[in-house]
This record gives sequence, structure tokens and C-alpha cells, in this order.
Amino acid sequence: MSKVAKSVKPLSCTVLILLFFSIPLFTKEAYLFHILITAGINIILATSLRTIATTGQMSLAHAGFMAIGAYTSALLVKKLDLSFWAALPLGGIAAALIALLVGYPFVRVKRVYFAMLTLFLGAVIRLIIMEWRGLTRGSSGLLDIPPPNPILIPGSLSIVFDAKIPYYYLILFLVLITFLFLYRIDSSRVGRTLLAIQQDDFVAESVGINVTNSKVFAWCVGCFFAGIAGSFYAHFIKTLTPDSFGVLQAIYVVVYMVVGGRRRIYGAILGAFVLTLLPEFFRILKEYQPFVFVGILLIITFFLPGGLIDLPKLGVSLVRRLKGPSVSHA
Amino acid sequence: MLEIKGLTKHFGGLAAVSEFDMNINRGEVVGLIGPNGAGKTTIFNLITGFVHPSKGQILFEQGDITGKATHSIAAKGIVRTFQQNAFLPDMTVLQNVFTSCYLHPKSGVWEAIFNTLGYRKKEQQALEHAMEIIAFLGLDFVRNELAQGLPHGYQRLIGIAIALSASPELLLLDEPLAGMNANEVNETLVFINKIRSVGTTVLLVEHNMRAVMKICDRIVVINFGRKIAEGLPQEVKRNKDVIEAYLGVGEDAA
Repeated sequence: MSKVAKSVKPLSCTVLILLFFSIPLFTKEAYLFHILITAGINIILATSLRTIATTGQMSLAHAGFMAIGAYTSALLVKKLDLSFWAALPLGGIAAALIALLVGYPFVRVKRVYFAMLTLFLGAVIRLIIMEWRGLTRGSSGLLDIPPPNPILIPGSLSIVFDAKIPYYYLILFLVLITFLFLYRIDSSRVGRTLLAIQQDDFVAESVGINVTNSKVFAWCVGCFFAGIAGSFYAHFIKTLTPDSFGVLQAIYVVVYMVVGGRRRIYGAILGAFVLTLLPEFFRILKEYQPFVFVGILLIITFFLPGGLIDLPKLGVSLVRRLKGPSVSHA
Repeated sequence: MLEIKGLTKHFGGLAAVSEFDMNINRGEVVGLIGPNGAGKTTIFNLITGFVHPSKGQILFEQGDITGKATHSIAAKGIVRTFQQNAFLPDMTVLQNVFTSCYLHPKSGVWEAIFNTLGYRKKEQQALEHAMEIIAFLGLDFVRNELAQGLPHGYQRLIGIAIALSASPELLLLDEPLAGMNANEVNETLVFINKIRSVGTTVLLVEHNMRAVMKICDRIVVINFGRKIAEGLPQEVKRNKDVIEAYLGVGEDAA
């Protein structure tokens, strides 16, 4: 039984990946790809936020770190003529460095107070972007950010970023890298350590775990991938304004994670995917997005506290409850 | 092995521990007793770095560990249990112990992420170590149960199992018998004797006097943060100051 379950997981993952890789074979609908790319960005944000949350700390600065990655990468390409392929990791590294800078004092603060600190940090990052007009052009925005440099291998391959589909493949690739990295953290001793800290940091510390360093590590890794998502976003949307990285955006990332289910990495992926696609299919949902998200969040916390990934479990228990009496009769 | 000199801790104006001296030799089981609020747990917190002393020095194997961080003291070989039931509630017993096998063998973050051969070997070792500890404490048949759902007696043992997974040379047990029934007390005493027989030194805080008298080689008594007596169990039992501290001074006795 468990052996079957073990082989089902990688199999279904492979099928899913192949499915997403083959979508462009069936349709070239630009709007669909725009949504899927946005979903990809949100998946990177939600899964990386979850890594921070594993230690029991909720960050509301994720939009801020995305902004750091976005502006770093855009400015490196625009002002220093750097290649996008170098600017992309540098965007992530910039976000991770800022995270490291504030990390040690921040992780001393626990639970809701940590969330408050990060809320302020997100606001400060946005404020700095707004006021540093000489560099970021403030609220008038950074325009005409160049697309990624074309990938040219003479004679065989040439990918030019002039349509949605190359971006789609790029984000698919980035999502895969992020997933593999964070999945390895999750399913290895590193993830166990982070989980131990969440459950009882005194016990963790008493068996030799450096709680402070581990928390800072999770925080920096999470912020790194937020920076990567930001960098991609900058060269995809091509226009950056501080308004794209407000508090609401940061809270949306939390909602993706909670709605999908924070216990597993698949939860964050599912939540980001469903909640990005849902408003696109129902126009009215998009106009009242905050309302809708509050509603969904309430429903989930009351009926599916483990998130959407617990849906099969809920289904099984419902079926059992319906079948219950007939079984006892027999 | 452990040498404490002039240890003092003030909380505001209150001296929780003052001018406390103690030595522990390798292989001993030493009892630390005293009335409630005497400062026993504070001494544990000071030794393991959860609280930093106002004054004094703590030496372990001749090395100064005063004011060091808890995790590095654990790495040196001093591990404690907690007075309350402390464990990782949402994990099974096995996961609790497996997760706590953090120091031996120790593996790095990057080898874990890249799932190297060396890392997988260490994981296997850690799992075997965890299974050994679970078998040692007789927790085999509950190893796949969630820790938070188990009865109190098992949860106390999980606390000890977690501490043992850090392979301590000096194990500090904070009231391991609290809330246990007579049967569980006897079983736990057997485990403490087993722990000592594999060469682990034990410092024990406990209110169950019969157990303390039975198991300890030496007893240190404190009251109001000061040491009032030290010696063999029989000596301590007859000490006038100790009887006074525990029973109070009667009018007619004075």
C-alpha cells in the first residue's frame, strides 16, 4: 500500500510537469499564458514564504523582498547593461542580503510580533523605493525594462522573449528549480530542524540546534526566492511602480499559502495556482478580490483548516459518514 | 567533570541563586534537592545557558562554559530535560527522537539539500540511533503515535529520550518522576540506572525523596538559592538544617 503510494507521487509529479510543458502545443492564447505566468510567480512566492513559516514565523514583507529583487535586477540591466541572466540571480542575492542584514535582530522576536516587524519592513522598503527618486524614479515608475536577452545557440536553438510562450517556459523552469530546492529542504533533516523549532524552540535548542541561525537561514532562503520572483516579474511586466508591492500583495501571498495548506509544499503550490486562476475566470471576483479572498479564507479556516490539500481527506470522511449507518446495519 | 564556582543569579532584586559551589565527578548520580522555589531549576538553566549568571563560573571538562549559548553547551555534552512535559507535539515519538539526533552524526545544510551519499549514510545512522534510544526506554510499541496524544508517563520518557538523542556526557534531569504513579517511578528509576551504567553522568532534581535517596551517590541541598548541605544520602537525611528547611522550625524545637 505505502509502496504504491510512494511511486504514485513522483509519477503524478512527472505527468503534471509534462502536462504543463505541453500546454503550448495545444493553444497559443496569450491571455491564458499571461495568467499561467502570473500563477508561476505566485507559486514561487507562496512556496518560499512557506519555508519561512515552517519555523513558526509569518512574514508580511514578502512583497517587499520581491520589490528588492525586481528593482535590483531591472536597474542592473538598465543602468549597467548587465545581462538578464546575471541580473536574475543577483536580484535574489540582493533580497537575501537585505534579509541577512535584518535577520538576526528580527528572529529574536516571535510570532505575531515578528509579523508586525515584517509588516513595517515591507512598508519601509516601499517607502525607500518611493523616495529614492534618483535611482527608482519613485512613484512615476521604472519604465521600458528590457526583456531577457535572447538565448542563442548558433545552428540549433534561438529563443527570443517577444511573446508569452518563452516567458512561460522560463517561469516553468524557475518554478521547478524553486520547488526542487525547497522540497529538498522540506524533506531532509533541515526541514525537520525547522519544524522542531516551530513546535518547541527550547527543546530544539536543548538538543544542540542553533535556533537563531536556523531561523535566519529559512528567512534568507525564503527572501532569496521572493527576489528571484521579483526579478522575473520586472522583465516580464517591463514596468515597475512601488504600488505593485504593497501590503495587500504581501497578504495575498499568505492567503495563497494558508488556503492551499501550509503543512505541505504542494499546498502552497495549489493555493497560489487556484487563487490566481479563479478571479480570472469570474470577472466579478476580480473586481472584488479582497472581499472574495476574505470569504475563501473564512470558509477554509472553518471547514478545511488544513487547506485545499486536505480536500481528499474531507471527501473520504464525508463518504464514510454517509455510508456509516448502512455499514452498522450490516 | 563539572565545576561550579560562586554561581550567582539575580532576578531584579531577588537573588535566585547566590554563591553556589558544586562539583560533579564523571560517572556519578548527584541529586539536587530543596524546597519549592529554592533555585534548583535556575541552576539547571544557568548550567545549560538558558539563563546567564550574574556572577560566578561554570567549568566543564576544565573548559569555561559560563554564559555560552545553549546549543553549543549541548554540543559539548551537557543536555537537560524540562520540568514540564516538553517535546515536539505534532510529531510521532520516533520523529521526536530522530529529529533530536541532531548533533551525532551532524550533517551540513548543503549536503542535505543535495542529498549526497554521505548525508544519506548519516541519516541512516541517526535513524538507527533513534531506534536504539526508543528501544532502550521501552517506547517501541508507541513509536508511531503522536507525542501529544500519549499519557503523561510516556511523555516524561519522551523528554528523556529527546535528551539522550543528543548523546550527553552529563544529563540534567529536572523532576523526571513528577506526576508518575508508583509503577512508572520504579520503571523510570531502572532507566536512570541504565543510563548511568553506559557511562553517562546524571544530575537529578527531584521531589520524590525515597527515589532520590535510593538512586543518588551524593546529594546537594539548597534553600533560598544557597547550599545548606552536601553529602551521602544518609548524612543528608540526618542533617539538622535540611530537616529544618523541609519541615520548618517548630516553636518547641527552638
